[in-house]
Amino acid sequence: MDWNAFLAFTRGPLFYASLLIFIAGMVYRLVQVAMLGWDKDQSVARGSKAGGVVKSFLKGILILPFIPWIKGAFQKRPIMYIAGGLFHLGLFTVIFLGTPHMLVWKSLLGFGWPTLALPFVDWLAVAAIIGMLVLIVYRRTDAVLRLLSGPAEYLNWLFVFLPMISGYIMTHHLFFRYEVAYSLHMLSVDWMLIWIPFSRISHFMFYFFSRTIRGVEWGKRAVTP
Amino acid sequence: MQAETAINLFVKKTGGWVASQLEACTRCGLCATACHYYEATGKPEFAPVWKVELLRRAYEQRFTLVGKAKVAMGIEKPISDDDIKEWSVYDFHGCSMCNKCSFVCPMGIDIASLIGAVRAGITAAGEAPAGLVKKTEVQLATGSPNGATREDYAAWFARTSKEMGKELPVDKKGAHTLLLLTNLEIAGFPNNLVAIAKILDAAKIDWTLSLEARDAFNMGTIIGNGKAMKQLADKVYNTAVDLGVKRVLVSCCGHGYTTLRDKLPNVMGKPLPFEVQHIAELMGVLVRDGKIKLQEGYFANGHTYTFHDSCKIQRAGGIMDEPRLVLRQLAGDSFHEMLPNRKEAICCGGGGGLRAIPEAYDIRMAAFGLKVDQIKKAGADTVVTTCSNCRLQFKEGFEHYKLDTQVTGLAELMSQAIVE
Ligand code: HEM
Ligand code: SF4
Ligand code: SF4
Repeated sequence: MDWNAFLAFTRGPLFYASLLIFIAGMVYRLVQVAMLGWDKDQSVARGSKAGGVVKSFLKGILILPFIPWIKGAFQKRPIMYIAGGLFHLGLFTVIFLGTPHMLVWKSLLGFGWPTLALPFVDWLAVAAIIGMLVLIVYRRTDAVLRLLSGPAEYLNWLFVFLPMISGYIMTHHLFFRYEVAYSLHMLSVDWMLIWIPFSRISHFMFYFFSRTIRGVEWGKRAVTP
Repeated sequence: MQAETAINLFVKKTGGWVASQLEACTRCGLCATACHYYEATGKPEFAPVWKVELLRRAYEQRFTLVGKAKVAMGIEKPISDDDIKEWSVYDFHGCSMCNKCSFVCPMGIDIASLIGAVRAGITAAGEAPAGLVKKTEVQLATGSPNGATREDYAAWFARTSKEMGKELPVDKKGAHTLLLLTNLEIAGFPNNLVAIAKILDAAKIDWTLSLEARDAFNMGTIIGNGKAMKQLADKVYNTAVDLGVKRVLVSCCGHGYTTLRDKLPNVMGKPLPFEVQHIAELMGVLVRDGKIKLQEGYFANGHTYTFHDSCKIQRAGGIMDEPRLVLRQLAGDSFHEMLPNRKEAICCGGGGGLRAIPEAYDIRMAAFGLKVDQIKKAGADTVVTTCSNCRLQFKEGFEHYKLDTQVTGLAELMSQAIVE
């Protein structure tokens, strides 16, 4: 098999096709939800809705264990906070602040930005991978998570895990020839992009809805969301 | 058949507001840490997100490609009649609609209102707990869920007038404030009326009671029957408009307050021509603005007080500072906080109609056990509340746990300490 040609395919046409499906799929999801309609709220506000939204997003980010409103839940389910937090932190660092990924963004958007040193990004990638492994074990062993998880949840995990592990294997030249590892990484990325709009991984988009709704609903009541 | 009715209702309830929140859930299970019924039972089915599962399934299967694909592939089943029966237990016996879980959800999903939609579907399908169905019927027929009639209220008002040595205003046209009581007070602590009357008089508020709109309770809200909710709330609306009042003042009732404040304007499709206020807020405002002077430390008398944050009045009503201001003046340092408190407080376990579901007695008392722990840790011998339903739950809970801890209402304390 001509791996170089395959790599060119997964990096080129397949990647752009996947990207298009991803964007079209997300737009479809957005439109589908928006088309369901929104009622205007007629009740009188006690507090500021805009202020509520700002606080809602701040609270969404401030998830460190020593913060009072996190403490209670953290003590009961620390694994979800630590492993989930490390996973997302690592994921975001790698795809936005790793040099190779920034270059992809640059080719798509036309502009780039400063990135972090490789060893730093590398450690966060390891943290993300370990986080994901912990999360899957937790999901299989915890009674609540088992109840909540069906095939879709496990596939989500797998289709996000594959790009991460293949990316790691590629950068560290493990097991496979470089162009093979690279092809597998691209293949899994392409597949993930296609999968996201049809799965719960699209939570990153609806996050902005739910946090905004929460801010409005509770800001209106003059309660910090 | 039942399932179909429920699904139709779910579909009707699903606007973008609901759908975008259902889509945001990552199924992380963190909301379980918030729920006192999950905590009390340890059953994963009582995790808040699981209580919304029926709605999620109905939404996905009806509106999304993924949902349709899941059914086609046999990964997920359409909602069945048995499902409706099963979830009736989770959503009615195991949820007080306390809203605490939404404060824990990392995605910020307003889980309780989604559970409200599930309740509505279950009710439409005829699987709401019999106790709640009965109370709804009784309230629609008599005006109060416990069957208290116009005559009962008239007798209570007359009795109280006699006791106070002054005629209480009833259906007085042009009054500024309409005071709305509850059947819980008439049955459990009729003296609350004396207390509130004293406070309103001391503040020189032009107020009135009504024999038309008598009960702030709204079984329609609790059971999730929109038509009943509107019918009961309409009564308040029409009376308030007839009397021409500027404000409807809700006495110690939580869901009655949020129904009138947050739900009624949306049912009407327009803002209300009057303000809706809870007595817990008014008490604090009167003291803060100097309209009423209290004898400071009147209750710093060897007892130790703690304040219970009710889900609908404090957490969902936002009225957390005002009652504390009053209690702080009354009890000074003998007022101790429970932990956690304010919007993170745990529910007493008796809200959301649970007190009217005999089958839920055990879980309700198990959840109350968490409250008992908190009270003990706060070192309090008296719990103060601004909600009559919580108050009854505390009373029954203390009896159940054979404790001699007391529970009382803030209005009753405040009315005794007013400086003329
Ligand atoms: C605004 C951005 C995002 C937010 C706020 C967010 C938030 C969350 C939260 C709160 C959870 C559940 C707890 C946890 O596991 O940490 C979660 C789970 C998850 N997220 Fe995200 N996320 C975001 C973006 C993403 C992206 C871009 C991806 C992947 C491409 C992703 C993949 C996942 C996966 C796979 C899980 C499930 C992990 C498990 O198996 O438990 N997330 N996310
Ligand atoms: S609203 Fe309260 S009782 Fe209901 S699921 Fe959430 S935490 Fe539990
Ligand atoms: S905490 Fe929120 S996101 Fe997590 S399972 Fe519960 S409802 Fe879903």
